[in-house]
Amino acid sequence: MIGLARVKEAARGRGLLVLLLAGLCLAGAAETGRGLYVPAKAMAAQVLLERAFERSLANHTPQRPWAWADMTPLARLSVPRLGAARVVLDSGSGQAMAFGPTLLPGGAAFGKEGTAVVAAHRDTHFRFLRDVHKGDLITVQTREGLERRYRVTGADVVRWDRYAVPDAGAGERLDLVTCYPFDAVRHGPWRYVLHAERISS
Amino acid sequence: MPQSPAFRPLAFRGALIPAVVLALGAPAAVAVQSTAALAADEAEDAATDDGPAAGTLMLRGQGIAESLPAVRLGTDMDVTVTGQVARVRVTQAFRNTSGKWMEAHYLYPLPQDGAVDSLKMVVGQRVIVGHVQPREKARETYEAAKASGRKAGLVEQQRPNMFTTMVANVGPGETVLIAIEYQAPVTQANGTFSLRLPLVVGPRYTPPHTLTSAPAVEDANAVTAAPVLDPKVGSGLNPTSISVRLAPGFDVANLISRYHKVNITGPLDDRTVRLAESVPADRDFVLEWRSASADPTLGLFAQHTDKGDFVMASVTPPADLSNLPTPPREMVFVIDNSGSMGGDSMDEAKASLIHALGTLRPQDHFNVIRFDDTMTRLFDHSVAATPDQVALAKRFAESLEARGGTEMLPALKAALEDAGTGGGADALRQIVFLTDGEISNEREMMAAIGADGGRSHVFMVGIGSAPNDYLMERMSTFGGGVYTHVGTPAEVAAKMMPLIDVLSHPAMRDLSVRVEGGTLDLTPARLPDVYAGRPLVLVGRTGHLAGTLTVSGTIGGKRWERRVDLASALPSPAIEKLWAHRRITDIEADRALGQMEDAQADAEVERIGMESGLVTSRTSLVAVDETPSRPAGARLTREELPINLPAGWDFDTLFGHDAVQSRVGSDDLSAMQAQALDLPQTATGFVGMVGKGLALLLAGLAGFALLLRRRTA
Repeated sequence: MIGLARVKEAARGRGLLVLLLAGLCLAGAAETGRGLYVPAKAMAAQVLLERAFERSLANHTPQRPWAWADMTPLARLSVPRLGAARVVLDSGSGQAMAFGPTLLPGGAAFGKEGTAVVAAHRDTHFRFLRDVHKGDLITVQTREGLERRYRVTGADVVRWDRYAVPDAGAGERLDLVTCYPFDAVRHGPWRYVLHAERISS
Repeated sequence: MPQSPAFRPLAFRGALIPAVVLALGAPAAVAVQSTAALAADEAEDAATDDGPAAGTLMLRGQGIAESLPAVRLGTDMDVTVTGQVARVRVTQAFRNTSGKWMEAHYLYPLPQDGAVDSLKMVVGQRVIVGHVQPREKARETYEAAKASGRKAGLVEQQRPNMFTTMVANVGPGETVLIAIEYQAPVTQANGTFSLRLPLVVGPRYTPPHTLTSAPAVEDANAVTAAPVLDPKVGSGLNPTSISVRLAPGFDVANLISRYHKVNITGPLDDRTVRLAESVPADRDFVLEWRSASADPTLGLFAQHTDKGDFVMASVTPPADLSNLPTPPREMVFVIDNSGSMGGDSMDEAKASLIHALGTLRPQDHFNVIRFDDTMTRLFDHSVAATPDQVALAKRFAESLEARGGTEMLPALKAALEDAGTGGGADALRQIVFLTDGEISNEREMMAAIGADGGRSHVFMVGIGSAPNDYLMERMSTFGGGVYTHVGTPAEVAAKMMPLIDVLSHPAMRDLSVRVEGGTLDLTPARLPDVYAGRPLVLVGRTGHLAGTLTVSGTIGGKRWERRVDLASALPSPAIEKLWAHRRITDIEADRALGQMEDAQADAEVERIGMESGLVTSRTSLVAVDETPSRPAGARLTREELPINLPAGWDFDTLFGHDAVQSRVGSDDLSAMQAQALDLPQTATGFVGMVGKGLALLLAGLAGFALLLRRRTA
């Protein structure tokens, strides 16, 4: 009868194992979904933001992209050579960055003397930064209808806490910031900063 | 972008904790790599996580000297050329200008085929003669003398063309002379003899993936030990004077110093060449000459010793004057655009490449690969050399900018990949490699050519004022090609022409060497590929020199044979050491090709080094003064002597970010105010999440599969 007991025990063990494996699969599916949700959200948000930006341009008032949004589109940033265009948001919070590049409050505003600093995620909205070269043209159109053209002067890699921007006196500048290295999976202390200065249109 | 950051996604590796992700990630990485085609930026994707991660300096461990050293060095080279061998005495004067007791380390180059056999240390009126000891033992002898306050000198080999002199306990205001002697064969091509004396070691790039063990790190440190003097501080460091007595045994004509101004005196068959003024050690000294008579005497020299007879024979096949059409070729050009190429070198490399592209014919196939720490293939596979494609390649070459590290191995492997599509199976497959060779993993390159060489012939074009001639010579010999050096932008056309000529004629076929009426232990053990006008130099050892040596082959469609009566050799005192050096080169080749274990190779090199009294990778020369000079209690300060940046190199490109930034701060933007700003975290890390999720899912499914199988079983 020892044999029967062993079979029973084995069956119970197998059931537990099946449960565990099912859990593992479920957790995996959930995590994958969560991961895939991020770029999906980033893309969908840009479409809504683009519409809101067009409305802002027409009405000359800030427009929310969706009813419960806590930020508004501020400007449209594009790199014509790469055909990349992104709607920049006015809140530099980490939540807003899931939807689009944001203008950091520490920097200057578009159209003002000083350096405007725009940050975005390196794996979604600012993935194209790696393809931007020295000499490339960046254009910015604000919701007030102001148009600015910038020329890329170079790039640096800096630690997040070792960065300083030229303030007023150096003319109108634009820095685009994202995490570095582009292909890293984990978060790190390095930031990739693309420098551009205004050129007259 | 100019200051290309040198960081690479190191973080990637850490995230791959679940083993399954590794399995998932590998094919993904391969997929990324294989798509690396036209656009340079795409190739950035392919940059593996092996890239430099140590900081903004692309050169690991290579420091910058911001001030002049306490110990000043002056070098004198006294050269005597007899027959086809140069005997060189290098005297290094270490002068301590400080008030402290000093130890100085100096890293310097010697010809890659030079055999160092003598060390003398001169202290005041006394001359101390050095002895050969196994490397570790010599180091101990030196350290013991250093600790006890006695003067000591040590000469170590770091690479066949790179040595370190260490001198300990140089008192305040004192000068210690270190004199080493070496001999090296004179090289010959198309009737021109040349002598190259390298004067400076170019800063080397160490690929991070080679730093796997403590000895590897120590080795990398040794070859990058010398800091480079910031050109803003001065450029005339390490003054060097050179005098050459040229008695080759025939009347000398067309005597040219390639890169330095010289004064020439004496009769035609015994010329004396002196540098017009002492020069900073920042570029190779090259002397070239021809014979005044049409046919120079045969290069056959012998030496009789107690250990046996040694003979050197250099046999030159005639110039290929055949009108045979050049077979269709597949040419793969590989161009180095790493940071060390910044300045004149990049221009030379581009001009050389464009020159070579211009010689392609429509029936040829070709491709261009550029590399720094990333790599781009212009075309996925070799394409027909139509005018459009060649024009595209020229534009591609024009657009290259020097930056980043020197990851040469992936580029070499890509070039060696033989798809067999470039012009068919009987096409001549040639790889033309343009680089300064400033890397520390030379052995990996040789191993790669040895393993994947196939039917490809590798031709090296050494670029710049001080290229790594050891790498060039070895890669071209392993690859069955030739080595050409382009030292200034002005000589691109002059130096590329002979190479183009070699490229359009296949190597000699059915090459064979026979000895009749005697025996001869010959080096090199593997016969290299021989081209028209370029000599095959054989060095042999035998109990008693007798008989004839026959070299034969087919060149230009014709049978060619040359017989040499060994008994008619001229005496030369240099052949024994030449033979020992050649033996070591053979052993190193076996090691690189994986035909000899490290330990066995080391032991063999040590044995030959001790027997012949040569400095090798395993043996060093050490000289110790018997009388203590540094008083007990006085401290000893160690100094790595800085070296000049090789002429034509661009300091800012090489040292990149830091150097450029400090200049931005001081010059053009000095009036600019800056405001500190913290930068937010800007990565969603969704790739990691997806990867983790998939890994979990896969693990679960795998578990189920296993369970199912067990149940059915």
